[in-house]
Amino acid sequence: MLEIITSPISFFILLSLFFIGAMGSLLLGKDDALANIWSSFFAIVGSLWGLLFSLSTIISGDALSFTDGVSPFPLLSLSLHIDMLSAIFIFIISLIILFCSIYGAGYVKHFYKKYNIGALGFFYHLFIAGMLLVVTASNGLFFLIAWEIMSIASYFLVVYDRNEKNNINAGFLYLVMTHIGTAFIIISFLLLYKFTGSFDFEAIKTGAILIPSSVKNVIFVFALIGFGTKAGIVPFHIWLPAAHPAAPSHVSALMSGVMIKTGIFMMIRLFLDILQPVPAWWGLTVLVVGAISSLLGVLYALTEHDIKRLLAYHSIENIGIILLGIGSALTFSSLGMQSLALLGLVAALFHTLNHATFKSLLFLSAGSVINQTHTRNMEEYGGLIKYMPQTAFFFLIGAMAISALPPFNGFFSEWMTFQSLFQGIISLNFSTRWIFILAAGALAFTGGLALTCFVKAFGATFLARPRSAEVTHSKESSFPLLAGMGALATLSLLFGIFSGQLTFFLEKAGNSLGIFQAAPSLVSLSRGKVLTVGNGFASVSGLAFLTLFLAVIFIVVFITQFIINKRQKIKIGATWDCGTDLTSRMEITTTGFARSIVLIFKGILKPSIQHEIEYHDSESRYLPKSRTVILGARDIHQSYFYQPLHKIVNALSLRVKNIQSGNINVYILYIFIALLITLFVIL
Amino acid sequence: MNILTLQFLLEIVFGTIVLLHITKKNVGAALAYGLQSLAITAILFGYFFETSNLSLLFIALLVLIVKVILAPVFFIKLIQKHELTFSVSTLISQIKTLIIIAVLTFFAHSQKFAPLTGIFPANQVLLSLAFSAMLLSLFLLINRKGALSQIIGILSLENSIVAFTIFAGLERSPALQLGIIFNIFIWLIIAIVFVSMIYKHFGSLDITTMNKLKD
Repeated sequence: MLEIITSPISFFILLSLFFIGAMGSLLLGKDDALANIWSSFFAIVGSLWGLLFSLSTIISGDALSFTDGVSPFPLLSLSLHIDMLSAIFIFIISLIILFCSIYGAGYVKHFYKKYNIGALGFFYHLFIAGMLLVVTASNGLFFLIAWEIMSIASYFLVVYDRNEKNNINAGFLYLVMTHIGTAFIIISFLLLYKFTGSFDFEAIKTGAILIPSSVKNVIFVFALIGFGTKAGIVPFHIWLPAAHPAAPSHVSALMSGVMIKTGIFMMIRLFLDILQPVPAWWGLTVLVVGAISSLLGVLYALTEHDIKRLLAYHSIENIGIILLGIGSALTFSSLGMQSLALLGLVAALFHTLNHATFKSLLFLSAGSVINQTHTRNMEEYGGLIKYMPQTAFFFLIGAMAISALPPFNGFFSEWMTFQSLFQGIISLNFSTRWIFILAAGALAFTGGLALTCFVKAFGATFLARPRSAEVTHSKESSFPLLAGMGALATLSLLFGIFSGQLTFFLEKAGNSLGIFQAAPSLVSLSRGKVLTVGNGFASVSGLAFLTLFLAVIFIVVFITQFIINKRQKIKIGATWDCGTDLTSRMEITTTGFARSIVLIFKGILKPSIQHEIEYHDSESRYLPKSRTVILGARDIHQSYFYQPLHKIVNALSLRVKNIQSGNINVYILYIFIALLITLFVIL
Repeated sequence: MNILTLQFLLEIVFGTIVLLHITKKNVGAALAYGLQSLAITAILFGYFFETSNLSLLFIALLVLIVKVILAPVFFIKLIQKHELTFSVSTLISQIKTLIIIAVLTFFAHSQKFAPLTGIFPANQVLLSLAFSAMLLSLFLLINRKGALSQIIGILSLENSIVAFTIFAGLERSPALQLGIIFNIFIWLIIAIVFVSMIYKHFGSLDITTMNKLKD
């Protein structure tokens, strides 16, 4: 049975389910409800099949290879290779798709009669199939086709809500950035082809020794930029806060939770598998990029009052945390410390899984809130816990998980990343050690700021009083939406409690990579399910934290209910308000909450403060009617990198436009000159 | 076939391209193209006599009909229909044109292009000449303003390429030749339809008047 499930046919059935889902949705496009049912059904069945397939592959431990021998193109072949690493990513993709699709079945109803639901289903399924092919392709050209399917399908999903002009702009930015990234990937693949004579990943791996080290370094930089652009590393992240909020929420969850991880997957595949051995500076560069991305990501998130943009910036932060694990793994592997490298990789993989879970949960919860309030501006929320208590509870779990609070999963993967960095601090030389110290400091700082940010997000959204009329009309989400969120919230807890067992699964995936096959594990799990790193260097237990967590809750509830309130009679009356009416204007806003931190980091964030005063009498200007303070922070990369770059490209384009004369003779002259130059160069 | 005969035929091809550059009458251009195609047909006939391959004879006859008879007749009819008998439309003066022709011919015969023209060492002189014919045909496309001259320029370029491939030993296959003839035939039909449409729309075949194509 296991053999059948882990066969190539099984994987093609998986792809076929999404293909049928895509085509069926398109054909049923005229009937919104039917298209939605068809699309959701095949997405759910497909994801269940994907989970079964990936889990069976992980359990069997065998790699699966498939090559189509009848390709008419000499360099392109339909070539797939599914090892444990690919299986882990198929598992993550399928898991998130399952719950996003359950959620989506209810969520897309508000698009009925507004947009074509069939088209949404078509691109949704195409997007999923693209992601699955990306993590399984083992031929460079075939990979690029899959990469493009994923990118183009996601572009159409970003601009799905096309009546919003901002969404169209966001989609365009995404399209441009993703293709800049693809250009870098193509150059790195062409360089690999030049020195190994093949686009096949296995052949490249075998021939990697033939690549001169200088070329290998260029390939590393180009691949880091190319895949980093998709992953959202700083400074190539600018598309992410624009595109993720624009897409429908269950698609945002998939893009943020899963799609950006395909960039991470390829970094692991290239740097830790195909191009091994690698120099130490690769790992240190990835560490620095990770530290900067995590820190800047969370700082920008703090300045946001758009709930989806806030979450998108947290994706950049978490990609940074994952890169800290990969960076330490690369550094250790280049220094021959394979066990420590394996620890770093496991930390990165674990955080990839965890981030996929809690970030999807947060995007889905945010989607439910937006669905009810019709705005993404957190300043207009407030008091939603009364109207949407279950959504608030799920958001709280997601917020706790992303803030790395035990017993939720985010804590355990960040803990493991810390252990990997600490191991570097105690075992590396002076200069390298300092980079690890700074990376660990950045991670600690990031954790604290993430917690602050989610206190702001949860408080401003769900607590206090409603700050707009829309909130008072809000209702709890429907069952499919709650089911999707509830399942992800449960997983966030379970992945934390069973972090020890999961670690071993992920370590098995790491061991499937050539350099880790003989690496002894630094992680051990005791009978009491205590996870220990490096001969008692540090220990943690999911179950112990759960017990402590429940005990604290119990004690707090018990003390409040039975000891403090026991002798007091409950009297319900109006809150004392110092003689003035309590209004939502007296609440602290998200801007106000973050102001002190934004001002501390004003050197980086470059905030702009805008005061607006409206007077009762505009001529005398003595009595102010209303006073507005707008605190904004513009992404410095946009101001100091992209805008000047845009100006240069624009100026160059205007100059280049001069060659566009409209005269056929001139065009033929260009061809003639190009031909002569080519002949001179190649002959 | 004797190398001197081949060289003479190729020189006719080369000479007709020079003639296409300096001729001021469209009729002259059409006739020059007919002569050029006749030289190519003679080369193909020569290979038929060498190999006695009947399919080559078939191809040579087809080339004779399409390129030597039909194409010039079509062009002359088109010229008569639109009264395009006279055209002085070159972008640069005749003297400059001749200087550039000399420079391009010099380049084509230079050592820099030896790897290309030396592809078949026994025919290096012929290949250099065929290559310079290709460059001159391209230059014809650049230099001429009239759409008709440009169409003849493209067909002339095709003749030069055919000559080059024959002497390089790359293309003596009847099937490929047949493909090229078919291609030319279709090209002629499309070109004539387009020329008529362009004339109808712009009232001229001077491509510099087609400014509305810009943007």
